[in-house]
Amino acid sequence: MANWTTVRRIMSVLLFLLAWTILVQFTGQFHQIPTPAAVFAALFQLKLGVIFTEIFRSFVRVLCGFLLGLLIGFPIGVAIGYSRIANYLLFPAVEMVRPIPPIAWIPLTVLFFINIESQIVFLTFYGAFFPIVYNTMGGISEVDIRLPRAAMSFGINRMGMLWKIILPAAMPQIFTGMKVAIGITWLMVVAAEMIASKGGLGYWVWYHHTVMEYPMVILGMGIIGLCGALCSVGIDVIGSHFMKWRNIF
Amino acid sequence: MVDSNHKGEVVFENVTRAVQTKKTETIILDHCSFVIESGKLTVLIGPSGCGKTTIINLIAGYEKPDRGKVLIDGKPVAGPDRERLVVFQETALFPWLTCYDNVMFGPLATKVMTREEAHEQAINLLEKVGLGDFLYKYPMQLSGGMMRRAELARALINRPTVMLMDEPFRGLDAMTRELMQEYYLRLVEESHGTHLFVTSEIEEAIFLADRLIIMTNKPSRVKHALDIDLPRPRIASVLRSKRYLELKALTLEILHEEAVKASMASGKADIAIDSGLRT
Repeated sequence: MANWTTVRRIMSVLLFLLAWTILVQFTGQFHQIPTPAAVFAALFQLKLGVIFTEIFRSFVRVLCGFLLGLLIGFPIGVAIGYSRIANYLLFPAVEMVRPIPPIAWIPLTVLFFINIESQIVFLTFYGAFFPIVYNTMGGISEVDIRLPRAAMSFGINRMGMLWKIILPAAMPQIFTGMKVAIGITWLMVVAAEMIASKGGLGYWVWYHHTVMEYPMVILGMGIIGLCGALCSVGIDVIGSHFMKWRNIF
Repeated sequence: MVDSNHKGEVVFENVTRAVQTKKTETIILDHCSFVIESGKLTVLIGPSGCGKTTIINLIAGYEKPDRGKVLIDGKPVAGPDRERLVVFQETALFPWLTCYDNVMFGPLATKVMTREEAHEQAINLLEKVGLGDFLYKYPMQLSGGMMRRAELARALINRPTVMLMDEPFRGLDAMTRELMQEYYLRLVEESHGTHLFVTSEIEEAIFLADRLIIMTNKPSRVKHALDIDLPRPRIASVLRSKRYLELKALTLEILHEEAVKASMASGKADIAIDSGLRT
């Protein structure tokens, strides 16, 4: 007995593939773009060793950048959200730098960082930093005031207030920040790799573009998307462990 | 006739409290004075916005009066303390803790009893409020009524001197509300503690109270105070007694005056008291 929702979903995907095929084969402009069938065929020409090496390279950079972003961004977000002094000291500087898009930093990273690997990791860190800081800061400052008030009545001290009340209450928002951050980190990795030519999925896609193997380009795009989605799901899974109390999970 | 051993007597002496917004200062309480007698259930009723929550915040220690004094057993309220605990209209249970952990929070934080004692009392209290089967559930898994009961247990385990209830049964359906009132009355009548109960429902107010304090509009002060001399324990049949109906009519009359003033002052029909008010 077919599940009607699943059938609808499959049909939506099929319609998308159909529209894609029609657009490419029967209109004049897009004939350079491969059809879904061509992309599917390219799947079988994938050299598994190569692709997994590149996936691994990108993943390592994403992980490093993300963890650095967490290590540096999370305490800063907590400080700005919890302490008025830290807010006055740190927030203006952060706000000033934030509008600068990560990619605009590429020329400067070449100056500051000696090797390409550290340049790439800096860019991924930069991408992860702001969502983490802002969502942590927001989560902490927006905790329903009645919760800390109740805790105060029960006689909690200042350290206990931060660890036992404020942080657990802010967890959902903090995890939202992490999900956004990992998405931007992937964005940055791919962009940096396309420019830097030092391996990774971005480089792999760019290489196939230079040799005009477009089915591989599109396949690469799909793989990047899949990796990003997997990371997002990974954060959800970790989040559901920390936030068992939410019915949604 | 004040007993010098009174525990939980709250005195408001000429309290003024204003709230600052960017452009204006709104005076909520203006030279407001009253006494909440220890060991009694005092109910505070009044039009919407008359500062009932402010009064609760002042007694709990979350706010300080701009002028005047708030005294507990003769001493000014210095800040939040487990002597004065609040059950809010919207739940303030810690959503990341189970019912059991929520109730254990106070004793564990203040270390006034051993873990074993606290554990026993927590289980007892939760069973008494009917949540024995829900000890390890999270607040999000509970209904509104269940959450209120858990909050009651969370407060009561600390044996507070004064229990402050800020419209705790608002938003519950009629049946649940009735049940909650009965639960609450049983707990109050057993413990003989000092309770301040804020509500905007007249029937609930008279049904629960030993003493009824009626507030004016803002800037608020006490308009009238009534002793509710209905027999205890209060049971549903008291709602049909002659004395109850007299008290209800009297309260309605007093509140009507204030409600009319409120709707004229604000320019909108601010009918906050919802039982049987006719314009």
